[in-house]
Amino acid sequence: MRWIAGIIGTRRGVRARTVQLVAGMGAAAIASSAATTACAQERAPAPSAAEGDVANAERLLARGERDAARRAAAAVVSRLAGSSRAVDQIAVGRAYVVMGDAASVRSALSAFDAATRTDPSNPEGELRAGNLFLDKYNAPDARVSFNAVLKAHPTNARAVLGLARVEDFENKGNALATTQKALTLDPALVEARVMLARLFLEAEQYDSAATHARRAIALDSTSLPAWSLLGAEAWLTGDSAAYNTARAAASRLQPRPSDFLVEIADAAVRTRRYAEAVRLASQAVAYDSQSVRALGVLGTNQMRLGQTAEGQRALDRAFALDPFNLWHKNTLDLLDRMKTFKTVTQGRFVLVAPADEADLLALYLVPMLDRAYDSLSVRYGFRAPTPVRLELFSRHADFSVRTVGLAGLGALGVSFGSTLAMDTPSARDRGAFNFGSTALHELTHAFTLGASEHRVPRWMSEGMSVLEERRYGQGWGADASLEYLTAFARGQLRPISQLNEGFLHPRHPEETGFSYYEASLFCEMVEQLKGAKALPAMLVAYRDGLDTPGVFKRVLGMTPEQVDAQFELWTRAKFAKPLAAAVTRDSTVVSDFVKTMRTAVALSGEGAAPANRDSIRALFERALSMFPDYAGPDGPAWHLARLAKERGDNAGALVNVSRVTLGDETAWDANVMEAELREAAGDDAGAIAALQRLLWISPYDVTLHRRMATLATKRNDHALAVRERRAVVATNPADLADARYELARALAATGDVTGARRELLAVLEQAPSFEKAQALLLELRARAGAPR
Amino acid sequence: MGVPEVAGVGMRVTTRATRFRTRTGACVGAAVLAGVLALTSHAGVAGAQATHVFVVQGLSGDPKFRKQFDDATAEVVGAARKKWSVQNENVVVFAEEADAARGIQRASREGIAEGFTALSRRVKPGDMVLVLLMGHGSGEGPASKVNIPGPDATAADFATWLSGFSKQTVVFVNAATGSGDFVPVLAAPGRIVVTATKSAMERNESVFATHFAKALAGDESDSDKDGRVSVMEAFRYATGETARAYTSTSRLQTEHAQVSDSVLARRVAFGGATSNDPRVGALIAERQELEASVAALRGKKASMETDAYERELERLLIAIAEKTKAIRAVGGTP
Repeated sequence: MRWIAGIIGTRRGVRARTVQLVAGMGAAAIASSAATTACAQERAPAPSAAEGDVANAERLLARGERDAARRAAAAVVSRLAGSSRAVDQIAVGRAYVVMGDAASVRSALSAFDAATRTDPSNPEGELRAGNLFLDKYNAPDARVSFNAVLKAHPTNARAVLGLARVEDFENKGNALATTQKALTLDPALVEARVMLARLFLEAEQYDSAATHARRAIALDSTSLPAWSLLGAEAWLTGDSAAYNTARAAASRLQPRPSDFLVEIADAAVRTRRYAEAVRLASQAVAYDSQSVRALGVLGTNQMRLGQTAEGQRALDRAFALDPFNLWHKNTLDLLDRMKTFKTVTQGRFVLVAPADEADLLALYLVPMLDRAYDSLSVRYGFRAPTPVRLELFSRHADFSVRTVGLAGLGALGVSFGSTLAMDTPSARDRGAFNFGSTALHELTHAFTLGASEHRVPRWMSEGMSVLEERRYGQGWGADASLEYLTAFARGQLRPISQLNEGFLHPRHPEETGFSYYEASLFCEMVEQLKGAKALPAMLVAYRDGLDTPGVFKRVLGMTPEQVDAQFELWTRAKFAKPLAAAVTRDSTVVSDFVKTMRTAVALSGEGAAPANRDSIRALFERALSMFPDYAGPDGPAWHLARLAKERGDNAGALVNVSRVTLGDETAWDANVMEAELREAAGDDAGAIAALQRLLWISPYDVTLHRRMATLATKRNDHALAVRERRAVVATNPADLADARYELARALAATGDVTGARRELLAVLEQAPSFEKAQALLLELRARAGAPR
Repeated sequence: MGVPEVAGVGMRVTTRATRFRTRTGACVGAAVLAGVLALTSHAGVAGAQATHVFVVQGLSGDPKFRKQFDDATAEVVGAARKKWSVQNENVVVFAEEADAARGIQRASREGIAEGFTALSRRVKPGDMVLVLLMGHGSGEGPASKVNIPGPDATAADFATWLSGFSKQTVVFVNAATGSGDFVPVLAAPGRIVVTATKSAMERNESVFATHFAKALAGDESDSDKDGRVSVMEAFRYATGETARAYTSTSRLQTEHAQVSDSVLARRVAFGGATSNDPRVGALIAERQELEASVAALRGKKASMETDAYERELERLLIAIAEKTKAIRAVGGTP
């Protein structure tokens, strides 16, 4: 466990707080934060002699001459420490910032605070304190500082810009609007232009990003952040001439252009080009081995490529240089915890998971992913680099840290190419997700990212992943919900041509889920209209550097507007029935489907009269006819299944419960019912299929494994029985000896006498009196022909 | 430690030392206690040791808890009578309501005290006493108590009542909530104290009693498959299943059981078959020697080549299996 350094706000006695992630906050936030000090330096009041000295130290630091900068800064501190003049105190604070170690950071804050106390009318100390807080990832205290400035100086553009940075850091509010407000107050504020360029770059609005970067350069041609962002935009759009111009300019400002390269590396990360990010960050570190930002980008992305040891080394160095960095601390702590994890290597896959779950999860995940790998290879004409590394975390916070360095990420899984990470089923409540479909989803990303050389936009990659989920497993993948169709009918979904915004900037919590499903429908439409080769061709087009309109034109022969129109028509046709009866365009009008369901549910509540049951059933059947694919736990099919079971109509129950399990990948209760009904009906194969679906939701119930093993043995499917007996053992049941004995029996039934013998010896080694195992050992010996 | 030299029907005591004594040529007594054969060489008399079961169900406060306590009691009493061959008169049950037809006495403080007094008169040196408490706990330290009708019974009360059992091995299980402080008050040589919680402050609803009763009564907890359930096996089973119950429902575990003497808890066991047939006794003795050889071989595992180890292990296990077959063949229970 490492301790995170904290800045103590001496005026408020507030220690740096733990930063909680909100979606979208991450490396970009650090980058934005790291730039703040430099920005603030350039807006200092008119220089005194002391300021001239400290400005020189800052210039040396900006050029990458760290040692000379520190010497110059130390001289300033030595000369001015103890001065009671505010201007000197600010100079001392700036000098401490240049020195940069943890103690100096705290001294810098004290100096800025002292300046504010000395001259409360001068906002400089408070502004610099705010920027320093933000530099050290303490947004709440930064906000307090900026608000304090604005209280006394309501039109202070730098304070407004500071608030914009806080909003961006916390992903709250509207950083773009706040930055524009700062520019309104001071159109010559270079840092505000840089901030706008960064925000537009993150939003993948590259033209706007370049425009604002150029405006910043027009105001100040020595702005290294502006040249770096212009270079990043050029790199992302493949404009090599503009890139070279920007790099040359940056190199004039910083001869060993570490900051420029790490900005490009960050841009590569944002577009999921992790290998290129590592290459660029490595160059940045080679130029400046003390660049925390470069070391952080390097280490984080080495880990994303599965280079865990190298990544840890880089992050260790970064954290030693900047002990305030919560991202790096969290990741290093997680790596410590992961030392207890178990690694299972099978063929093309390396599975890393908590030791008590690794064997169990590998039993299901590796064979499924192996089959999927083969079919995806054929479909996309590309083989994802192997080994594919899948990391699983039984604490969702650990998964979140693995992904973005902070707790709070809402996702279930992530793909960095051939390194995948996800929650174990135990990380969430049972029924919260399906770990099989999640793993398949992430594996599909490994193919779509790889085939496009990581240039496919997120919306398209997500759409293909969801489509592959639906293709693979019964009920897997998102399906049309009432909420989705309602949003469609009311024109609340984004058109396909703007769907990336649904992922990057969702307007409401549901929009992300809607966007996944919409993207998958688009992929489905493309396959239907253009054939199976169209989706791989789109990946190739992205790989060739085309943007989305270019890809549409080359592969689909359509403009974005035509694609949007086509998709609208296709969706209307596909969901004609539920769109007619289940949803309304007018939010004040309740649909026939909803009215019918409400009536049926109200009538079927506790104490419903038996006489009503037929009419209740009729209502649910009517609702079902309006929206046959509604598979949720509150849908008509599930109600009808339960009603049928209650009246002993097992056949009717089976028909309806199958509708639910066909359409809902997390339908625990429905699959339990289906397994029971099919087993009772003698449909062992069907019962096994239902049990398997349950295991993809939660594999921890040992009784399910035993049931499945028994059914498999009954059907002479001994291989399946062996898998299930292995699963029982992997759950570490109370009676482990008996579980291993049963595994030995199953192995023996497959003819694997050697494996059976190995299990028996292991059991009897610990429990030599175990009579059943003794008998089987004798039986195997006899079967092998040994003398008795 | 107060470990009795004679293992009797029902609760058993096994030690590695006694097993080795067997290997040095102990004779077999007229009655054979499977798995604890060595001890008969010292006793020479079958059935010299008896097991006594003393169950106290506290106030339930809710029909759900009442059923839990009743079910756990039924499990333990049923196992005592059927699997451990405990005599009816050696089973005493107290509950919040007396039921003469079922031989259940009211769990008042005075009644329990009288029950212990009566039991102290019945027991013989070397006997085993299993005390099982269930219910809701309160208080702290020596004043920790199990809530019963009328004045509650405190840890100090039980310490007083058990003071007359210094020549017996006592397994005292307080499976009530908030029972943790019973351990320091009741721990004593020759006595194993098990509590459902680690402190008096863990007072939320507990599932330990259910799992501990199941462990005593069932076969799943018998991890070494020797036909007996040691207190440690039962404890491990119950703590494992308790943890699983919380994990499977995504709840934070609010009870953490503890055991006072894990060494003794490994030695003291319940169950095991008996036979008066000297042929069976001889075969069991031979098998136990082989089992001891397996234990000795395990100790050498790290220093042996895997193949050689497995060959020798298999040779011994086959020999054990043959002995088991032979015991069955002469009508014995292995």
